[in-house]
Amino acid sequence: MARINLDTVRKEFSDDGRTIVAVEDLDLTIRDGEFLVLVGPSGCGKTTTLRSVAGLEEVTSGTITFGEADVTDLRARDRDVAMVFQNYALYPHMNVGRNIGFGLRLSTDFDSDEIDQRVQDAAEMLGIEDLLGKKPKALSGGQQQRVALGRAIVRDPEVFLMDEPLSNLDAKLRAQMRTELQELQHELDVTTVYVTHDQTEAMAMGDRIAIMDDGELQQVGTAEAVYRSPANEFVANFIGSPSINLLTATVEGDRLTGPGGFSYRLADPAPVAGYDRVRAGIRPEDMTLVEDGIEAAVTVVEQMGNENFCYMELGDVDLTARIDASLRPSPDEVVEFGFEETALYLFDPETGESLKTMTDETDVSIQDYVTQAE
Amino acid sequence: MRNLTRDEAVWRFVGYSFVLLVTLLMIVPIYWIVVASTLPEQVFLSGGSDLQLLPGTNFLANLDALQAREGVDFIGSIWNSVFIAVVYTLLSLVLCSMGGFAFAKYDFRFKEPIFYSILATLTLPIQLLVIPLFLLISQMGLTNSYWAIILPWAANPLGIFLMRQNMKQIPDALLESARIDGATEFQLYYRIALPTMKSSLAALAIVLFLFQWNLFLFPLVVLEQGKYTIPVAINELVGAQRVYYDQIMVAAALSIIPLFLVFLFLQRHFVSGILAGSVKE
Repeated sequence: MARINLDTVRKEFSDDGRTIVAVEDLDLTIRDGEFLVLVGPSGCGKTTTLRSVAGLEEVTSGTITFGEADVTDLRARDRDVAMVFQNYALYPHMNVGRNIGFGLRLSTDFDSDEIDQRVQDAAEMLGIEDLLGKKPKALSGGQQQRVALGRAIVRDPEVFLMDEPLSNLDAKLRAQMRTELQELQHELDVTTVYVTHDQTEAMAMGDRIAIMDDGELQQVGTAEAVYRSPANEFVANFIGSPSINLLTATVEGDRLTGPGGFSYRLADPAPVAGYDRVRAGIRPEDMTLVEDGIEAAVTVVEQMGNENFCYMELGDVDLTARIDASLRPSPDEVVEFGFEETALYLFDPETGESLKTMTDETDVSIQDYVTQAE
Repeated sequence: MRNLTRDEAVWRFVGYSFVLLVTLLMIVPIYWIVVASTLPEQVFLSGGSDLQLLPGTNFLANLDALQAREGVDFIGSIWNSVFIAVVYTLLSLVLCSMGGFAFAKYDFRFKEPIFYSILATLTLPIQLLVIPLFLLISQMGLTNSYWAIILPWAANPLGIFLMRQNMKQIPDALLESARIDGATEFQLYYRIALPTMKSSLAALAIVLFLFQWNLFLFPLVVLEQGKYTIPVAINELVGAQRVYYDQIMVAAALSIIPLFLVFLFLQRHFVSGILAGSVKE
């Protein structure tokens, strides 16, 4: 087990003489035993970061330490990490048992009885003990995934690295493996770095989430922190599904005016003091259909069963509201919506930095929430 | 299976006929060698209506004549050829697969120029190389030894090219996975690349074996009596006064046998899809 520390890690690639910065001066500490999810759009540098921690990429500058040990210049095989690849990368010419035991055979001096026992234990943990004699090509995607996991856990490494391990599974299996992986990580208590582009997966799995964009770390925090208190507009936009509604508003004193007749009076204008324009954001679930609200034209309504997604146009901006399943406005109908100021996000229009994030109460006790029987 | 349409049936007929024709063109000379080796020389040399197309009973007599031949140890030359071709094939498989692995999976300075220079040597005809190679071999004191014809082509450019092309198919993730599992770079080659490239290696082995088996000019120059390979030995059967066709036919027929054995032994490795199941597409 180890704490991982990345100190101003930078990774550049050269492509036809041009230099591309994949990871820019990244500072990140992953606590001992923590499940940290690196998330971001494709090309944001998350996989490069993971590969640098694994030792598969040499960093251009900066240092990486596991615990007290500086591993920056160590090769992958000397770092005591285990990695699960997106495409599993099973050894096709070995059966499942040998696939799982390969690392032990190479990097330990256990005798073969000991190795067989450990392989057996790992396989039982994952429920694949019946598959030990089979070749990878005879397995289903989910079984291959488990073998890849088995190969990682059998070595009892300092650090687990996972590169989008669930993205090749179908939706149902993915949800099941998500829970299993969390349980497994909890049980083994190994420091884990998990890369995904799927923000739902990130929110669901991570003790903390690190959001990256364009090679730079945007924010690190718990799911709740990055959702409710995003550091900037990018994080607010990336986290949450459907994503946050954003528009540019002009500031006149305490009044915000925007496209399509958007107008809102701030009770507390302090965050926008000194700005003549801001970016305003409201999450779809905070939009309510009201009387005397802001008018918008409905374009599409998607019925989810438990709720409806109502897509609207406000001037040249598209908005989404999550509304009750019983509300079914028809396309082209003009509805009026409103929101609480506590749910309003405001961002600097130039830098994207947060000026105001969600401020409503979160620490509501269930006692106050449940309707008491008379 | 669905029934073929008329057009498809016609094309299939044309296709099979063509394949059959090519096969016949390939087989007839071999058949003729085998038949001729069983006939007395004057019979198979006679043409016209006397042309004999079925095997006769003169094989052993021809063989006796071949073995009785002064100055040509044909059976010995078979052993020379087999030894040289086997050692050459094994050595060359190792060198070509290592070279191919490096060119396919590593980055280093001047990789492309080096690779294309190696490939370019394929265009040099052997006649051009004979004199420089002979000088080189004699300076190394290797003339009239097996190594004289094993070493010059051991790093076979065609072999390196073929292995590079095939090894490019090995997914990088497979090698990285093994690196993380603790494999050294040599273990990547030995325990991951080689086993997954079995069928390519088998195909290359046949190409290499055949190449060495058929080498003629350089062995003729560099080897002396007693170390002769089959092609050189057959050449000796062409006497100054007369060509002993019966003996040549027996020798040629016998020289095919080891090739057959090599092919039979290797063809079971021609299985496709060894890499299947390694990475999820």
